[in-house]
Amino acid sequence: MNPKFESIQFLALLRREVLEHRNLFIWAPAVLGLLIFVIDFLIVQGLDERTKIAFLEGLARFFGGGSPANMSPVFVFSTLPFLFILFMCATLYLTNSLYQDRRELSILFWQSMPVSNLKTVLSKVVAITVIAPVFYCAVIFALYVIAILWLIVSGLSYDIEVAGLGYMFLSAVLSVPVVYLFALTSALWLFPYMGWLLLFSAFAGRTPLLWAIGSLALILFLEGFLFDTQFLSNWIETRSDIDNFLIVEYGGLFARLFSYEMFIGLVVGGLLTTGAVFMRRFID
Amino acid sequence: MKDLVLKNRYTLLLTVILAYVILIVVEGAITDRQPDWLLFDNSLFTLDLRDIEELSNLDFDLNADL
Repeated sequence: MNPKFESIQFLALLRREVLEHRNLFIWAPAVLGLLIFVIDFLIVQGLDERTKIAFLEGLARFFGGGSPANMSPVFVFSTLPFLFILFMCATLYLTNSLYQDRRELSILFWQSMPVSNLKTVLSKVVAITVIAPVFYCAVIFALYVIAILWLIVSGLSYDIEVAGLGYMFLSAVLSVPVVYLFALTSALWLFPYMGWLLLFSAFAGRTPLLWAIGSLALILFLEGFLFDTQFLSNWIETRSDIDNFLIVEYGGLFARLFSYEMFIGLVVGGLLTTGAVFMRRFID
Repeated sequence: MKDLVLKNRYTLLLTVILAYVILIVVEGAITDRQPDWLLFDNSLFTLDLRDIEELSNLDFDLNADL
């Protein structure tokens, strides 16, 4: 098939994923961003004038003259609520996406089209790994712009030296690509988890999340009960340890990406995702 | 073999899970994988909470006269 047609078709599949799951991709981070802004706004409005001035001066002094690259990790930590929501949305999305296709019988339509099961499943993986973090980072960036403009206007109204807030803005902007890469590498690290959810999303007749959790619990129990070993629990503990994929600066990126642990995770995730692709041929 | 694996959704699921378990067990046995929940090692700090176990060796005499 024509490669140009293939790429256009894949882009159309990605667009479909975004349009069908706008709540998880766009509205979830937007609502969280708004909520964080409103809470911060109310907290600062609640301060008396002297504390507000001291707060603004403190911020300007803290960031003033410092290297924005060195200060950007501060902002990466502040985006952890967004990354947590992204993780929750990804879990819901992966659990329901293939299951929903079968429940609504739209799988019959898609299988009548020249779209392979492999492409459909890959579009879901790429959508949540590569596309979803873009929307989350866009909301984070918008939040930074609004918050820092608000701080600068407040600073000017109190006649405070606001040059340090400019450095703060640069640090915040530099942290956004790090947050994106953190989300991306986390998704790659958790690829076995994604594959597991996709497998049960393609398999289960109902409640795919329950099937995914129940099956895992059963396998863990059987391993311990029958063989008295803990290879599987060791594997899951290593995979779910956030310290193994936490990135707060560019320096940690390559060590995480090009490691044996990442490679074996991709192999295991690939195996489970392949299972999900083949499972698509069974329609209730 | 292919017909057996792809006979129905249950045989396929069982095969995939079996392959998954075998891969994890073989990889775990070769690399001697150990969980490292208590070891935090990143570019900002390194913290090994397993050392805290040494605290349990400390002997506190609660009945000592003050």
